[in-house]
Amino acid sequence: MRLFAALLSLVLLAAMPAVPAGAQDNSGVKGLFLLTDYPAVTVRPGTTTTINLRLRNYALPPERFTLTVGGVPQGWTVTVLGGGQPAGAAMVATNDSTTLQLRLDVPANAAMGTQNLTVSAKGQSTELSLPVAVTLAKDLPAKLALEPELPSLRGTAKSNFEYQLKIKNDSGRNLVVALAAQAPQNFETSFTEQYGSQELSSLPVEAGQSKTVKLKVRPPSTIGASRYPVSVKASAEDASADATVALEISGQPRLSMAGRDGVLSARAEAGKEASIPIVVTNTGTAAADEIELTSSAPSGWKISFEPKTIDRIAPGANKEVQALVTPPDKAIAGDYAPTFNAAARGETASTQFRVAVGVSTVWGAIGIGIIAIALLIMVGAVARFGRR
Amino acid sequence: MQREGSPWRGLSVVYFRELFDHLTSVRMLVLQFLVVLLGGAVVYFAAEQIRNTTAEDPFLFLRLFAPPGQSLLSFVLVLSILVPILAIGLGFDAINGEYNRRTMSRILAQPIYRDALLFGKFLAGLSTIAIALVTLWLLVIGFGLLRLGVPPSGEEIGRLFIFLLVTIAYAGIWLALAVTFSVFFRSTATAALVALGLWLFLALLWPALAQMLGEVISPSDIRFAQLGLPTPDTLAWQQGLSRVSPGTLYGEAVVAMLNPDAQSMTTLLAQFQGRIGAPLPLDQSIMQAWPQMVSLIAGTILLYVIGYVAFQRQEVRA
Repeated sequence: MRLFAALLSLVLLAAMPAVPAGAQDNSGVKGLFLLTDYPAVTVRPGTTTTINLRLRNYALPPERFTLTVGGVPQGWTVTVLGGGQPAGAAMVATNDSTTLQLRLDVPANAAMGTQNLTVSAKGQSTELSLPVAVTLAKDLPAKLALEPELPSLRGTAKSNFEYQLKIKNDSGRNLVVALAAQAPQNFETSFTEQYGSQELSSLPVEAGQSKTVKLKVRPPSTIGASRYPVSVKASAEDASADATVALEISGQPRLSMAGRDGVLSARAEAGKEASIPIVVTNTGTAAADEIELTSSAPSGWKISFEPKTIDRIAPGANKEVQALVTPPDKAIAGDYAPTFNAAARGETASTQFRVAVGVSTVWGAIGIGIIAIALLIMVGAVARFGRR
Repeated sequence: MQREGSPWRGLSVVYFRELFDHLTSVRMLVLQFLVVLLGGAVVYFAAEQIRNTTAEDPFLFLRLFAPPGQSLLSFVLVLSILVPILAIGLGFDAINGEYNRRTMSRILAQPIYRDALLFGKFLAGLSTIAIALVTLWLLVIGFGLLRLGVPPSGEEIGRLFIFLLVTIAYAGIWLALAVTFSVFFRSTATAALVALGLWLFLALLWPALAQMLGEVISPSDIRFAQLGLPTPDTLAWQQGLSRVSPGTLYGEAVVAMLNPDAQSMTTLLAQFQGRIGAPLPLDQSIMQAWPQMVSLIAGTILLYVIGYVAFQRQEVRA
């Protein structure tokens, strides 16, 4: 225990002076320096490259430096820029730095290999020099990566499928990436911004950066249940990247109703039951189960179905049911429009029938009977009261 | 004393004689002239209105008789007023005129039964009116063809034909009434006045009276009144009572025949029942107007029978 405490105190003692010592180290640097982040760079012939330089003064009085560049090969143009202008000399204040640029115009026909340039700053008391190694090389080939975040989505034929695609530019240049998607026939594809609705065909990606675009796929609404691949291609200059996303479309029943042979009208007589055949068709891509048949009709109408429910209709198949329609006894002759509905789980269909209601011809017979009675009365009167 | 042989003996003689008298009489000429003039004028205006306003109409020809919209003077309205006058004018002196001219005993001295005399006179009157109406009907259709340049469809012809028959039946009921009154009243003036008075009462007063009586028998319900609707029971009573008037029956039958869109007496009720405003087929229109037609025909027969019985029981003196 005691040993541990002693050790701890020893550690503390050792650590405590270490912090101010480090700080003093930093400020203890004294002198003038010509600096650059990357003293050895690779440049492609025929391009212009800029190298950032810094002239740093630590705790020395300000001084004027004449800037020169040595070791410039034949045909190259090397300029030192300060504040955007060619600069021949620079001055730096105490504990401050001045930023300079070294611009290299390398001719396209320059020979491959490494050229050593020396940037030198000559002051009254000090002379600084910074060697910069410039290697001429063919540029790195463009390289793209395409990565879908969620490569497989599931939905119905009516859904919108949206894929987030991450395009990464792994090359040393800014690229304009062209996008293309190849989907099965009749599928609609479009690329949009990640947050936006503008459709894209290409987009710029900076070197080393990545961008996310959205691929929207709309399947044709009549498509059957299956898995559909969509291949996406991103290409720029001489590089390309591929990815494959997939749509898993689950089938959906779709119902439609009509009369037999498509007839949507029927006749009925007031107060009497009429049977109207109705064909329920499943035009969807999955079987429809437990289809319930309902109706909405003017008040007083009695409508029932035989059978009341249909157990199952396979896709592309149809079943016939009978709608038993009874107009009210006092229905006035004319056309009425009851609506028949079929509802499977989540899928409905309805159709409006035109039912022409006629009045029973019994009344016509009764009318003729009344006239006959009147004529009989006349005949009776003629027989009874006939006189000479 | 019971009759021997057919009661129709001598019918054709009476019929043709009466028909000849009617068609050559000045009274008939004046009435006919009146009907043609008024009907022609009304149809002319109806045709002008159709030419100016109607775009497309499946029943263009029917509009000639019953113009769309609430036209004050339609052909049908003119007929419903003039046909009773025509019928009463032809029938009011059928029997009592013979008495006044002292020709009754002379006719009955011939081998003609009273049955044949009365029936022949009634039939001749009806035929006269029928001839006048058919002429008018054909004139209107011909005029319509000229002015509109559209031939009537088969259904329109059917509807117009039934309309003609209904109009003849409507004339028949007034003729039977006038003949019956001519049996009852010895004075021709009385018979004419009573018949015309009854017509005026039924045509002008009775519709308003039926409304009032219906209200008295079955007072309207405040709940319906607040909704701005007629009480069904009250409406039924009012309609039933107003149908005592042959004019109402005729009007309803004509509307059913000439307005296939069924803008009839049942429109309000039909709206309640959720009917679509589609034209009715001809057979359904006939079914709708059938009770009215039956009432007109049966009424004619019954009124004639009353007059017949009364005539048979009368004593005929020279």
